[in-house]
Amino acid sequence: MTHLRDLQLRFQDYLIGKSEDIEADIISTENALAEHRLGTYYNAYRIRLIDCLAVDYSALAHYLGRGAFENLALDYLRHYPSTHPSVRWFGQHLPAYLRDIYAGEEQEFLQELASYEWAQSLVFDAADSESLFQLEDMAQVPPEAWPELTFRFKPAMLWLDLHWNVALIENAIDTGTEVPQARRSDFPQRWLIWRRELKTYWRSLEVHEAWAIEQAAEGANFAAICEGLLEWIDAEQVALVAAGFLKQWIGDQLVLSLGKD
Amino acid sequence: MTESRTKPFLGFGLGLRAEHYQDVLERKPKNVDWFEILSENYMIDGGKPLYFLDAIRQDYPMVMHGVSMSLGSTDELDFDYLRQLKALIERVEPRWFSDHLCWTGVDHRNMHDLLPLPYTQEAVNHLADRISRVQDFIGRQMLIENLSSYITYCDDAMPEWEFLSAIAEKADCYLLLDVNNIYVSSFNHHFDPVDYLAGIPGERVWQHHLAGHTNDGNLIIDTHDQDIIDPVWALYEETARRFGPVSTMIERDGNIPALEAVLEELDHARAIAAPYYQAGK
Repeated sequence: MTHLRDLQLRFQDYLIGKSEDIEADIISTENALAEHRLGTYYNAYRIRLIDCLAVDYSALAHYLGRGAFENLALDYLRHYPSTHPSVRWFGQHLPAYLRDIYAGEEQEFLQELASYEWAQSLVFDAADSESLFQLEDMAQVPPEAWPELTFRFKPAMLWLDLHWNVALIENAIDTGTEVPQARRSDFPQRWLIWRRELKTYWRSLEVHEAWAIEQAAEGANFAAICEGLLEWIDAEQVALVAAGFLKQWIGDQLVLSLGKD
Repeated sequence: MTESRTKPFLGFGLGLRAEHYQDVLERKPKNVDWFEILSENYMIDGGKPLYFLDAIRQDYPMVMHGVSMSLGSTDELDFDYLRQLKALIERVEPRWFSDHLCWTGVDHRNMHDLLPLPYTQEAVNHLADRISRVQDFIGRQMLIENLSSYITYCDDAMPEWEFLSAIAEKADCYLLLDVNNIYVSSFNHHFDPVDYLAGIPGERVWQHHLAGHTNDGNLIIDTHDQDIIDPVWALYEETARRFGPVSTMIERDGNIPALEAVLEELDHARAIAAPYYQAGK
């Protein structure tokens, strides 16, 4: 091992709190001892990454309070040190970490809140879509083509299945309005999050739309989606309902293109 | 390397910050000649940052400045990172790109800090070799920036300015001389900042950063969240006197004021440099 590598390993061990060996390599002066000088880096490392998490998880930070959030962030930093060139990805494991360290309903709530915030950040800088399928293009689709139609969705779109009303809580914290009480549903609800031009949108889906969009995203054609929707919708209404979903998805600028099975 | 050695002068610029995106796009301020972007902020797939980057690039020349190349690290160079950087360079077509004379982590960790190196011949050789490899990979010369630092290693065998100059010479790269960082380090390590300037090869200085800092009484911390103080302005005047026209910008990363306030600081830089830059043209 080179001398430089040995020095860097010991410096890094100091920063992560593993060893103080590096102090012997640093010159103390009258106004600032080696310990104080090194401490500047030790503290900056923690403050910088806590601040980064507090931005990415601002609702979680608000909900937990600054002290509890800082303790959580420091523990997270110990378990998941950053390995990515961009600090933007440092917080990606926080929802999984919350699952590991909390238990019961609190675990589920905090993990869902964090997952929701991370999903928003994923949608924020997901790839742009230059051309989208437009509502007026639907008229070009001949009636006989409908059963075999498949759907390609934009990258800046995802969904989460959530038991808790974390979307409403996050939105209230973000907009500074009254934060609703945390409430849990017995069954998870699907929340769709997407970006339209530069703005992020979200809405909840009823169970049959939640099923339909998942099938469509996995490549099912229009006929297969209609068949599956019979579990919730009468046969005479089903094509109309499915076409209504499609119209909504196109109107929300979610659909890149239609294809053929 | 085939790039021209004539020093380009872009004028007076700003670090582009998200807080100013809308204002810049709407007002297209004329007293900003160019913008510097933080490369890592745009190594993403899409969305708002890239939208504003492309839109503002239509109106202004840009340079790219990175924080994660980790030139001084003893880990292998990160070619995934360099490929992304190269792709961004092709998109932005900056006048140049830069990073710091530092390391950011080893064992594949990123401390997200600009950590100082010992000023030794071993480090000179290590840095120069890696900068040369980066320049070969990207296909153009880069600028390297001096740090603010809070420690001195017992190993140091030369002053910082000799270290910086030796690397620039050996790697045949250019310098982004951060005037505030020289001031901060001179306070923290008790040297005369004018000695620093006297030891720098002026022909390699292509860019200046100016910024504010925080003084805790014993150490000055490079926080970039305050206005620039008078001794840093005085040191900038000395750089202008010594080096002539060098593309100069203000770097503000925290406590970010309205665009107007940063533009006023930029006008102040312009006024300080004017007598020397006109004479140097």
